[in-house]
Amino acid sequence: MSGSIQAPAIDARGITRVYKAKPNDVTALAGIDLEVAPGEFFGLLGPNGAGKTTLIKILTTLLLPSSGTARIFGFDVATDTKKIRRIMNMVAGGEQSGYGILEAREQLWMFSQFYGLGAREGWHRVDELIDAVGLGEQRHQRVSTLSTGQRQKMNFARGLLNDPWVFFLDEPTLGLDVSAARSVRELMVGWRAAVPGRTVLLTTHYMAEADELCERIAIVDRGRILAIGSPAELKRRVQRESIFRLELDRLAGGPGALARLPGVISAVAAIDATAGADAPARQTVVINLVLGEDSALAGVVAALDGLGAHIVALAKSEPSLEDVFVELVGRGFEDDEDDSDEGGPRDRSERLPIEPHEAGQPDPEDQAR
Amino acid sequence: MSAPKLRVFVGRPTASPQEAANWTPRQVWANNLRSIIGRAYPRVRGLTREPSWVIFQMLLPFLTTASFVFVYRALDAPAAYIGFVVIGGAMTAFWLNVVWMMAAQLYWEKDQGNLELYFAAPMNVMSVLVGMAVGGLLMSSTRAISILFIATVVFGVSFSISQWALLIAVFVLTLAALYGFGMMLASLFVMWGREAFHLTQLMTEPVYFVSGLNFPVGRLGFIGALAIALIPLAVGLDAMRQLAFVSTGPTGTPEPWIEALILVAMTAIFIGLARWLLHSMEERARREGRLTVRWR
Amino acid sequence: MIDATSAEPNRFDPARAGGRGTVDLLRSFRTAAALGWKMEANWTDPLLFFIYSVAKPVASALILVFMLQVIAGPAGIALRPFVIVGSALWSFVVSGVAGLAWAVLDDRERYRMLKYIYVSPSSFLTILIGRGVARLAVGAMGAGITLAVGVIVLGVPFNPLAVDWPLLVVVLVLGVITITALALVMAAICLQTRQESWDYPEVVVGALFLVVGAVFPLSVLPLPFQVFGLLSPLTWWIAGVRQALFPGGPSSIGGAGSLWQQLSGQLNPTPVQIVLALLATGAIVTLASAILFRAGEARAKDRGLIDRTTGS
Repeated sequence: MSGSIQAPAIDARGITRVYKAKPNDVTALAGIDLEVAPGEFFGLLGPNGAGKTTLIKILTTLLLPSSGTARIFGFDVATDTKKIRRIMNMVAGGEQSGYGILEAREQLWMFSQFYGLGAREGWHRVDELIDAVGLGEQRHQRVSTLSTGQRQKMNFARGLLNDPWVFFLDEPTLGLDVSAARSVRELMVGWRAAVPGRTVLLTTHYMAEADELCERIAIVDRGRILAIGSPAELKRRVQRESIFRLELDRLAGGPGALARLPGVISAVAAIDATAGADAPARQTVVINLVLGEDSALAGVVAALDGLGAHIVALAKSEPSLEDVFVELVGRGFEDDEDDSDEGGPRDRSERLPIEPHEAGQPDPEDQAR
Repeated sequence: MSAPKLRVFVGRPTASPQEAANWTPRQVWANNLRSIIGRAYPRVRGLTREPSWVIFQMLLPFLTTASFVFVYRALDAPAAYIGFVVIGGAMTAFWLNVVWMMAAQLYWEKDQGNLELYFAAPMNVMSVLVGMAVGGLLMSSTRAISILFIATVVFGVSFSISQWALLIAVFVLTLAALYGFGMMLASLFVMWGREAFHLTQLMTEPVYFVSGLNFPVGRLGFIGALAIALIPLAVGLDAMRQLAFVSTGPTGTPEPWIEALILVAMTAIFIGLARWLLHSMEERARREGRLTVRWR
Repeated sequence: MIDATSAEPNRFDPARAGGRGTVDLLRSFRTAAALGWKMEANWTDPLLFFIYSVAKPVASALILVFMLQVIAGPAGIALRPFVIVGSALWSFVVSGVAGLAWAVLDDRERYRMLKYIYVSPSSFLTILIGRGVARLAVGAMGAGITLAVGVIVLGVPFNPLAVDWPLLVVVLVLGVITITALALVMAAICLQTRQESWDYPEVVVGALFLVVGAVFPLSVLPLPFQVFGLLSPLTWWIAGVRQALFPGGPSSIGGAGSLWQQLSGQLNPTPVQIVLALLATGAIVTLASAILFRAGEARAKDRGLIDRTTGS
């Protein structure tokens, strides 16, 4: 079935994936329905073991679903593998792949040949990308000597070699320090700015990353999508009101003076829980202000002027995506990682081989050696 | 935050993903050919960047071959048998390249996390295997030539070749059959996991024995006949010996031209099987999730 | 979950950095040997057993037997004990030398554990040796099976009552030490080289095969090679085992026109001479290998090779 120009970039219907395991089979995906429009920056957010990597592997044609269908721009992941591989690329976090004996530039050129670029064209594109990702000084450095952040930049450049229409990023900042992770995120943003219309599917368990980059997010847990929406929409599920922390030099009439204003749901003096019994008395007044919507703030500010109060500080308190997750599931990401299986840092399902053993038992492949 | 140079990120402009996805047959062939060169590149580069192979792949193997020469000398064997050992030693280089650097190689690639990147790329994975073969051929050829040359000079081996064209053809066909065999094994090894390493061990001394590496395979009787039918090293070696040492007389094995035809058939069968097996194994691996899992 | 409220304050005890000497060494060795055993010597897998203990060593011996048969015909039967013993022992050498080298490559490239082993307080040398012990055992079993095949199937005449058991035990013990020393040198080399050096141990041992009288007497070789052969502890080891198992049989070191005869005036070395020569050459090789291993280790550490991964 050929794709149409209007086809979604990613269209997954009823995707399940079950791994054979002893004593019981493991269901990594339990029915995923997902549609990503062309040009969208879409995030899959969830804890380890949620099924994010399994879904990416299905969409990148490395794994077949147990049931359901998935299409990339109308091309079926089960049957149109060659076509899909020409228009997509993938980068995973924590990758140690590569040939240590090669220079970064050579490593990338080798992959440019795999993606159909000519020899000379490949070198040209590699040099451009190396400069663009900030690896200019490391271009002639052997892959085995690159730092983790440099290696990930190189991987990112590899992912862009074929100018993919769909770019799959599986926890691309995993294991990177703050600076390196920021660089990689900037690259993602920069690429999309340079070529609008390209689609990105990002999996991550870093909420701030998803919040910052993604236009829409699907929260995934235990093989199911719990909610889909923009970050703002998802947060509104948890907290429909707007909460502000307002610090004033003085407030005649106390918080009650604000509570009666239109649009104000409540205004309560904040208790400084961190102050000890011997702490000096605060010189300002801090109010936790709950509004029906952000627009009510203007009225509050105008009223403060009439009350002779001046604003010292104003901060909006927003729920995090983890709050959204807790709201949906009833536990946090850390709770889930504490409960996860016997110590592995990766997904329970996603690290299982075809004939896995119970953690702690010898791997049959180990014994074969 | 400021975006990097915008222009840099734009690669080949295509109007739509459908246009980008539909390659012409010429593009497909070009991609596969370029992939062969791409994959051969690290092998070739590796030769210059870590030259220890000159000692371990050239000098020392010559000494091993020399050991078997001295066995025959200790037995006062005819000179032609020295030549048998020398040819056997030279061909060992190609056999070991097939076994270690091709058959087991996809398993190593899976172990290092490169295999999933190969399968996620548009080229045919057979191109990767051929690239590995081409890259490894340089080292193997150097080893074979050095053994042949040094041993011929040091031990005074004299060849009596009357059919040069057939000899060259047999050599080329032997390589083709060997590497086809290696490709076939590579796909099996992907699925067999750790067993792959052990199976490569099985393909050293036991195969040397049944292939008649240091003696005429015809002396093995039925086993030798079976080896000629199944193992490209056995049939190629026997044919090359018959052509290089015409004076030794009948060996009890088929004529060289018949063995050349056997090699043609082997090449076709092994490469055909390799294609089918690679495709089947990829499908099975995608179904069972074996492509991307690396155990530790 | 750690209950922080109940933890008592700890003070650093400098004595902890001292270690416990021999106790630690033995523990490291036992642990490494157990690990090597689990990984490399799983005899419950019949395929593994067949490959390493039967197919490879027996095939090596059969190659030589057929070479004998081709040239000498029935007269070659008398030489079978000579080549079968040499081939069986050589399989043992290959297995033992490869064991330590492959342990380095495996731990560095596949398991990526070498750096953690290296920075642990256990002796790196001890752990490597422990890791290699399993493959030595596999090789020993292979050698035994090859000899048994030679006796039972290939008609090698063997009289257990005629065996010089004290000589055999002494020579075997000294030989294992020498093989371990050679294995350490290979391990040091593999620390410097990349992943493709899996076959280096076999190649090196294959080269030594030329000069140790494994399957032909040293007297066949040019003089410089005979000198090298006499200086190699493996030559004396193989000769010693042959002498112990088949007293009075052909010697790989002696014989008419051999360098040994020219130097000593004797046709063949006596068992005492064999043991003394093995002791002397083995001690030199062991000392040299210890120095080379330390040098190799230092170079690897200096160049950051211990935790690198390679591959092409």
